[in-house]
Amino acid sequence: MSAADLGATLTAFQDAVAKVDVTNALGVVDAALADGADPIALLTQVVGPAQRVVGDKWQRGEWSVADEHAATAVAMSATETIARAVRRTPVVRGRVVVACAEREWHALAAMMIDCALRSDGWETTLLGASTPALRLSQYLQDLGPDAVAVSCSVLGSLPTTRRFIEASRAAGIPVLVGGPAFGTDDLRATSLGATAWAADAAHAIEVIRTMPAVVPRAEPLPEAAAAEQAALELAHAALIADLTSRWPGPECDLDPDLVKDSIEQLLHAVWAALLTTDPRPISQTAGWVTALLEFRRLPPALATSLRDELTRALRDYPLASFLFATSWT
Amino acid sequence: MIKAEDTTGTGHAPATTGARPELAEDIALAMAGSLNLRRSVLQLLDGVRPEVADWAVVALASPQGAGLQLFGGSDVTAELTVSRRRVAGTALGRVLTTGMRELLHVAAGVEDGLSALIPHSALRHEAASLRPADVLAIGLTARGATLGALIMVRGQGRGFGPDDIALAERIASRASLALDSARLYEQRGEITSALHDSLVPPPLPDVPGAVLGARYRPAAEQLDIGGDFYDVFRAGADWLIALGDVCGKGVNAAVLTGRARQSLRTAAHFEREPGALLGALSAVFHDDTSERFITLLCLRVRAGESPEAGDLVVEVASAGHAPPLLVRADGEVEAVEAEGAVLGVVGDAQYVATTVRLAPGDQLVLYTDGVEEARGESGFYGDDRLAELLGRLAGAAPDVVCAAVEQDVVEHLAGRAHDDIAVVSVGCARTTA
Repeated sequence: MSAADLGATLTAFQDAVAKVDVTNALGVVDAALADGADPIALLTQVVGPAQRVVGDKWQRGEWSVADEHAATAVAMSATETIARAVRRTPVVRGRVVVACAEREWHALAAMMIDCALRSDGWETTLLGASTPALRLSQYLQDLGPDAVAVSCSVLGSLPTTRRFIEASRAAGIPVLVGGPAFGTDDLRATSLGATAWAADAAHAIEVIRTMPAVVPRAEPLPEAAAAEQAALELAHAALIADLTSRWPGPECDLDPDLVKDSIEQLLHAVWAALLTTDPRPISQTAGWVTALLEFRRLPPALATSLRDELTRALRDYPLASFLFATSWT
Repeated sequence: MIKAEDTTGTGHAPATTGARPELAEDIALAMAGSLNLRRSVLQLLDGVRPEVADWAVVALASPQGAGLQLFGGSDVTAELTVSRRRVAGTALGRVLTTGMRELLHVAAGVEDGLSALIPHSALRHEAASLRPADVLAIGLTARGATLGALIMVRGQGRGFGPDDIALAERIASRASLALDSARLYEQRGEITSALHDSLVPPPLPDVPGAVLGARYRPAAEQLDIGGDFYDVFRAGADWLIALGDVCGKGVNAAVLTGRARQSLRTAAHFEREPGALLGALSAVFHDDTSERFITLLCLRVRAGESPEAGDLVVEVASAGHAPPLLVRADGEVEAVEAEGAVLGVVGDAQYVATTVRLAPGDQLVLYTDGVEEARGESGFYGDDRLAELLGRLAGAAPDVVCAAVEQDVVEHLAGRAHDDIAVVSVGCARTTA
């Protein structure tokens, strides 16, 4: 199947997702598979890009959370269809456990990685959304896999992803990580102790073959930063309550879910920056929140006041304060 | 310990040492991180190379006893099996029988010298490239039994000196304990996984005209099973859906869920009316001495009278379980009126089913008390919050609805412990015209 055909498939698929038309979406995928389309190309060049459009529509306020859920369900059904086709591939490599750490509810990316690795001849076991580290450990001891692949799309799940890395490496098992929470290079992955980082499903297939059979246990994270992140996590509910009571203020009528989400994302970005020594999550999340407010035609001063409130809320956390002040200027 | 030395060549290597003495401790620590036999073997093979050996294989007696599993070689992840008979009478056979060690020197020109300790031609071929080589095989003995042997090769005349052999013995004795623990865990695991597989929630079948979704999150976070259960199966021309909760958590409760599911399936062979089914089940569990309570919802799903409408007729009976919530496509949410005694409390309990009609896009959401009683910062999750969430999700696919309920409840908990959580939704498929 040519690139042009894949382009046409993407257009047809996006159209079906926009209308939340499962039947049509699956028809498009089935037709492409029958035409001999590469399952990985379908995942990375059709289902993946269509899903990014869904997130953008939500950010711009064009779609509700329910619309987003419904469209995601279409993408999951499409991935399941591709996975069924892929399961006919013979197993010629070892076993991989694919999982999402706690607080990661976007199971779609993990499904796609699972499907991609299966198509490359790995025997895969997919654990669902928000899996506790204890449950992962149980699976590692029971299955003794050659590798663990962790998908992480939300910054708030990086601390629990670190637990996954510790659990896997304690058993000597190498860990491949990827997903939007890791950004576009391997800095965060390396800081958290992952064995390797992959940019997307095709890259994951390539990288996982090069991982060592046995890895040593994970080195501890820098103590001061890890302690501050843990303190912020413990104080999370109190911080959210404090911040939502002050921002955006009584005179501003903003959707409470959006308020909570913006504040939560920023606090999660601070966690991520502390654990990974990479300050970019803060500036990127600040940019995301600013754009979100702009799309809703809200005054730019709201972004400034949010920054000031967070600066105040973080004053008892010296490392976080420094990272925040230098990243959102 | 007796040192049997079988020198088939000349020019034996001098005593040397290249490995750190703390290596035995490091390997033991690494192996302690794993209870999986294969991963433990990998840790050992990875640990001894390259400091103690240039090449290594772990031979383990297979669980049935007739075979010998060979792990490692040039590729540490490689696995081969040979017959135990193959090594009878060889140096390796002596190691496996006595738990003692054997040291062998193989000169460059000698072809078959390796076969005494390396029982597979592909592995001998790998080791042959290291000639002149020294081969050391040490019995892996733990808790009174020899499990196998650690076979190590040093090439190009590097040889095993007395210090190397002492270190290798220390490594082997620690590794043996770890391997034996992993072996015991694996054997126990085979028993539990067979039982476990019969108790995990079943995959959802395709039910004509209906769309199903389900989520299950046990209280014991390391388990896949608990005291909540659901089942969906065909009985004649009808489909039956059950969701229930055995009082208690963990394995003991899970065992009873298996019995409840099986009893229901058997009873459904004779009776498909949900009220009568629950009555039969209640009588069975009343005679039981387990003294555990079971609440259960039982639904019979059938197509409506007119095929064009594409609607479903669902009869709902409840044995002491929270009623399902009927979520209309337009966002209206109401509890289905269904009540009855908890199963097994009285011998002749009567259950009356309520009939609900689902139009395309409508769905019935069944859940266990792990949902409403999830305790978060602000108190119980509660029925109101669930109804409000379902109203917002009206019209979404049942799988999406179940996933959203699970996420909302777990986020409400914010890391607190919870009871088993099960959610099942049965929706009426939208016509695809």
